[in-house]
Amino acid sequence: MAKLLVDNKEIEAKEGISLLQACLDNGIYIPNLCHIHGTDNPSASCRLCFVEIEGEDKPIPSCTVKAKDGIIVKTDTPSVRRLQCTAFKLLMSVHRVDCGHCPANKKCELQRIAKFLKVGLKPKYLELHLKETEVDESNPFLDYYPNRCVLCGKCIAVCKDKHGRAFLTFAKRGLDAVVSSYGEKDVSNLPCGKCLACIGICPVGAITSKDSPHQTA
Amino acid sequence: MSPLNNETVQKAFGVIRDEAKRRRDAFREEPVPKIQIGMATCGIASGALETKNAFEEVLAERKIEAHIRTVGCIGHCYAEPVVIMDHPESGFPPIFYHNVTPGKAKMLAKSFLEEGDPLFEHVLGAMEENDLVPQVLDFPRFNQEKRVVLEKCGRVDPEDIYEYIADGGYETLAKILQLAPNEIIEEVQKSGLRGRGGAGFPTGRKWDLARNADGQHKTVICNADEGDPGAYMDRTLLESNPHQVLEGMAICAYAVGAQKAIVYVRAEYPLAVKIVTKAIGQARELGLLGEGVLGSSFDLEIDVFQGSGAFVCGEETALIQSIEGNRGMPRHRPPYPVQQGLGGQPTVINNVKTLASIPPIIEHGATWFRAIGTEKSPGTAIFSVVGNIVHAGLVEIPMGVTLRTLIFDICGGVPNKKKFKAVQIGGPSGGCLPEDFLDTPIDFDSLIQAGAMMGSGGMVVMDEDTCMVDVSRYFLDFTQKESCGKCTFCRIGTHHLLNTLERITKGEGRDGDLEQLETLSEDIKDGSLCGLGKTAPNPVLTSLRYFRDEYEAHVKERRCPARMCRTLTAFYIDLDKCARGCDACVGSCPVEAIFTTKDRKKGVDQSLCVKCGECMVACPAEYDAVMKVSPPDLAPIIEQAVDD
Amino acid sequence: MNQENSLEAEEKVILDDIASRLKVFGRERGELIPILQMIQERHAYIVEDAIKMTAEHLGIAICETYGVATFYNQFRFHPPGKNQIKVCLGTACHVRGGDIILENFERKLEIRDGETTPDREFSIERVVCVGCCALAPVAIVNETVQGHMAPSKVEGLILGFKIEKEKAEREKQKSEPAQ
Repeated sequence: MAKLLVDNKEIEAKEGISLLQACLDNGIYIPNLCHIHGTDNPSASCRLCFVEIEGEDKPIPSCTVKAKDGIIVKTDTPSVRRLQCTAFKLLMSVHRVDCGHCPANKKCELQRIAKFLKVGLKPKYLELHLKETEVDESNPFLDYYPNRCVLCGKCIAVCKDKHGRAFLTFAKRGLDAVVSSYGEKDVSNLPCGKCLACIGICPVGAITSKDSPHQTA
Repeated sequence: MSPLNNETVQKAFGVIRDEAKRRRDAFREEPVPKIQIGMATCGIASGALETKNAFEEVLAERKIEAHIRTVGCIGHCYAEPVVIMDHPESGFPPIFYHNVTPGKAKMLAKSFLEEGDPLFEHVLGAMEENDLVPQVLDFPRFNQEKRVVLEKCGRVDPEDIYEYIADGGYETLAKILQLAPNEIIEEVQKSGLRGRGGAGFPTGRKWDLARNADGQHKTVICNADEGDPGAYMDRTLLESNPHQVLEGMAICAYAVGAQKAIVYVRAEYPLAVKIVTKAIGQARELGLLGEGVLGSSFDLEIDVFQGSGAFVCGEETALIQSIEGNRGMPRHRPPYPVQQGLGGQPTVINNVKTLASIPPIIEHGATWFRAIGTEKSPGTAIFSVVGNIVHAGLVEIPMGVTLRTLIFDICGGVPNKKKFKAVQIGGPSGGCLPEDFLDTPIDFDSLIQAGAMMGSGGMVVMDEDTCMVDVSRYFLDFTQKESCGKCTFCRIGTHHLLNTLERITKGEGRDGDLEQLETLSEDIKDGSLCGLGKTAPNPVLTSLRYFRDEYEAHVKERRCPARMCRTLTAFYIDLDKCARGCDACVGSCPVEAIFTTKDRKKGVDQSLCVKCGECMVACPAEYDAVMKVSPPDLAPIIEQAVDD
Repeated sequence: MNQENSLEAEEKVILDDIASRLKVFGRERGELIPILQMIQERHAYIVEDAIKMTAEHLGIAICETYGVATFYNQFRFHPPGKNQIKVCLGTACHVRGGDIILENFERKLEIRDGETTPDREFSIERVVCVGCCALAPVAIVNETVQGHMAPSKVEGLILGFKIEKEKAEREKQKSEPAQ
């Protein structure tokens, strides 16, 4: 067991787990979207879980460092908050805020982070930029909403984990990047009907189940 | 390695070297003139192929006996197509000719080869000391260079391995096969060589880490995914002297204990791919690659992998992803590729120039290398100096030379009597430095201190007509398009930077825009996952620091001081200068925006004008009547003649 | 034959060719990009069904193949024109007015970058640095680098192609006696 000091509170963590996991396990919340419990290879893509570690000159994503004995961590310094707020606002500047019609309403991670950081859901100063496609209905079981998606990649990881291969993937690049199930139309081949793990793990409401998918099969 | 083994290597290499020398001497001693033509991509683009055809035609037509030999690029792109003619019988030394068009080629063959008149008006200089023709080495563009990496470029035929060997090539490989790997690493460490890909990580240390990392299947990768828009020295090197790179790779592989190596080249460089592939084949045929290199127990296979056009793949982890058949998205480091790279195995990734520096370092020793350049950045730097510059091309200089020397003394400064405004160094990751920084020495640390970076060596010189806001917009447009989309800051942050810059260049800037650009830039720098995102805001930050007044003119006055942003400029024709009845501008206009006035002079229809500036070029110098103004409402309203 | 039918027939030829070529490639994941490059090089674009064939050959998901193919600039998903025009917008070309050259091509051919003319004669693409910076601004027309471009040169190039085409058609008519 490693003993570390987080926000002046001593916590214990299993050696080798990520600092983020250690904090979350000990009831210290750090905003995060792409972190998956128990994984060795952090995606480190959402850029929210910044913390300051004594001896390092800049904030570091806590998912990318191991919980080591004796490290001193601060989760709420001004520079940490600044990066978190910017990352959050950036995410919201490409997000369709329409919580009333979103299945994730009230359990959405974005709502939780907004509340935690005390910032609004609609960013000021940044112009809203939405993708043209509001919903991708090409998959026989799932509907995908690009303007809700935060591209955390957890759906892809969980799919690969459950089925040995992914029926979902990232496609395109940069600001156009989306999650796609391109070409996966063969209903007999798709495990989605019984699985839907991607919907369960999505921190927002980007993937929904089609109504009564079994009938279309 | 046992002494017996050493003997085998010595002997095996001796046979190859003797053959190479025999071939060279046979070529040299043949009593016919030799015509040498530079045929790398830029030479071909300038018409070298047509020039070569013209020589062939005229030689055949007039039954002149001469050898045509094609070589790579010597870096003097402003002078392409470049031809060196060696006609010993004439009494002249080998002569360097520039801008040799097919017509000039035919003329030269006739006058020089048949009549012995070298046509002085087309001569750039002589290749060696003599009493008749000034030597090229007397020109600053030549004599201030220090060629370590590019030494053999433009001298050897890249498609003939024997030429490289006759010029001393592969000698070092034969030598190091008789040394212990750690001796080589020590020498590279002592040389102080830093990675030429931009970041400047000590090469020897990288090798040492790879050597000591656990793994049976180590790989060496030569990173030639030269994506910086404005840099092309990696391409030139691979096209002009691929064997020096291959030799460097072989030395690296032997030192770190790898049996596999990959040259990662952009698919946009088809000639480089072709030449490297051919070079690998030739090296394998001679036993310089493959199983048991030169009869030793060291095996090495080198393959070529073509990058598919993603700037981010220049980043090590993304590069590996793409070789493995994945989307080229960088991952968090550590683990670094030297610990876990391709296939989870230790992998050394070095830039082309880094690897090409290795044979000379081992050949002449670390002390020799350290004597070149500065203490913290030993050796040479290669820049592609382009943009508004007289002698554009590739230049290799010792580190520590100042920007002023490079731009003004070596490359001839800014053309057309324009004023120097800024130099952009390091491409999309670098920055723009103004005149005040011209005395900055060129080395890794000084450039970073000034706000730019060495990057891959692209250097774009800008004159007074270049708008710095537009240049920032240009780079952000690039990085935004090339962002892989993985992390939040780079994916969305660069989009907002670009969006703001686009508004500003269109005259739609708002109060607070500049402050927002600054804070967002800082956050993207600190928050991004990989080098692409972390450095993407540099062009904005440096130009805001050094050229803030230009930004302010755009935002507050809707004016582009350089008169480059097209929405903020207008062209008009000064009726006092315009010559009655002259139609020069009319034909040049691609959109028929030029009309005739009552007095048979010309006017520009602002609603049609696309501001390409062609009319300005077309207007005869003695009139010089086309004016360009910013903001656009400075252009007077000129009335069109009404048809009766 | 209407255009759609001819496109379909064309795609079939392409797919047959790809099927025979695939045999040369191994089945490791690392072959994915080389295979896509082969398809692109031989046929100038990646036909939809080729993605499925590649996925099956390598035993990976179709969507993953698509995900990789859409990541890289090199791969195109629509057939380009017979004459491919690439306008370089590297830094040196930008500073020397590369965007004006691009605009001129767009205006003359009445298409935007990334598009193909309806008669499939021309397509325009923007590329980032082909490494001929000293000749800026540069355009690549059917693999030939054209240095020091100017709007008037754009017109000349396109006119050249049109004249060539008319000439070829006239020759064709001559050799095929009127029916």
